[in-house]
Amino acid sequence: MGGQACVFYGAAQVSKDIDFVVLADDQNFARLQDALGRLQAARIAVPPFDSEILQRGHAVHFRCAADGTEGLRIDVMTRMRGVDDFSKLWSRRTTVADDRGSEYHLLSIPDLVQAKKTQRAKDWPIIELLVSIHYRENDTSPSAESIDFWLREARTAELLSQICKRFPSEAATIQPQRRLLQTALSGQMDLLRAELDEERRTEQAKDREYWEPLKRELERLRHGER
Amino acid sequence: MQFDDLPDEWKEWISLTPLERLRRSEQIFADYLAMGGSLDPDPDPTSPFDFPELWSAGASHGRAGLRVLRRGAGEQGH
Repeated sequence: MGGQACVFYGAAQVSKDIDFVVLADDQNFARLQDALGRLQAARIAVPPFDSEILQRGHAVHFRCAADGTEGLRIDVMTRMRGVDDFSKLWSRRTTVADDRGSEYHLLSIPDLVQAKKTQRAKDWPIIELLVSIHYRENDTSPSAESIDFWLREARTAELLSQICKRFPSEAATIQPQRRLLQTALSGQMDLLRAELDEERRTEQAKDREYWEPLKRELERLRHGER
Repeated sequence: MQFDDLPDEWKEWISLTPLERLRRSEQIFADYLAMGGSLDPDPDPTSPFDFPELWSAGASHGRAGLRVLRRGAGEQGH
């Protein structure tokens, strides 16, 4: 769901770890345990690998030791802030198959964009690129869903302005929910850039607020493990 | 960022198929590791996952693959 998915979509060239979002289900956890066992994956750092902890929004971190995977880090999550539940993510996933018969199930670009709306500075340029790539790949005969996605998530003034000019009625419909579309429609580019920056800062603040109790819990767990 | 504004290297990257990107990424990653690159996360004070426990033991600044050869005058030695 993370950097590796961005590699598939073209928004990154390499990722040093693999992030998985998994179905929070007893049978699935047993399968996950089995897979982690085959990778000789040992948990590193807090929190412990526990379904209830995952359901509270934590990530569990592992490092692999099996041949060919030595040192590889794996992060597992079951839910993320502002992101739909697993069944919806799964129904919208992108599947890529290779010539060896392996299948790679990725968060759709719109879901990946939601997952990337974090407090981390490095995620925001990736969001810009993901939306730009999605626009380039779908702009010939876009669906209503694609237009909606671009209008809600485009993060550069130039691209957003271009989309608003192309789809003014859709932009006017969404504008009450994303007020800066009015600025995009009016072509005030400097103001639009400032409002996009403010929108990003607001979202980062929401993510910090979401993580505050989780970080306190991690600190408690860390002290408990010492 | 719009596609036209990207550097040529990125335009070429995006024009590949997903599987071509995966294969090239695997090669880049293999080259990175062959040069002693670390699998540890890069320090990121803006991340809620910025734990020293995620870094390999004994690594400089927690990052395996890097060794301190010389410390700057303003840095504290360990």
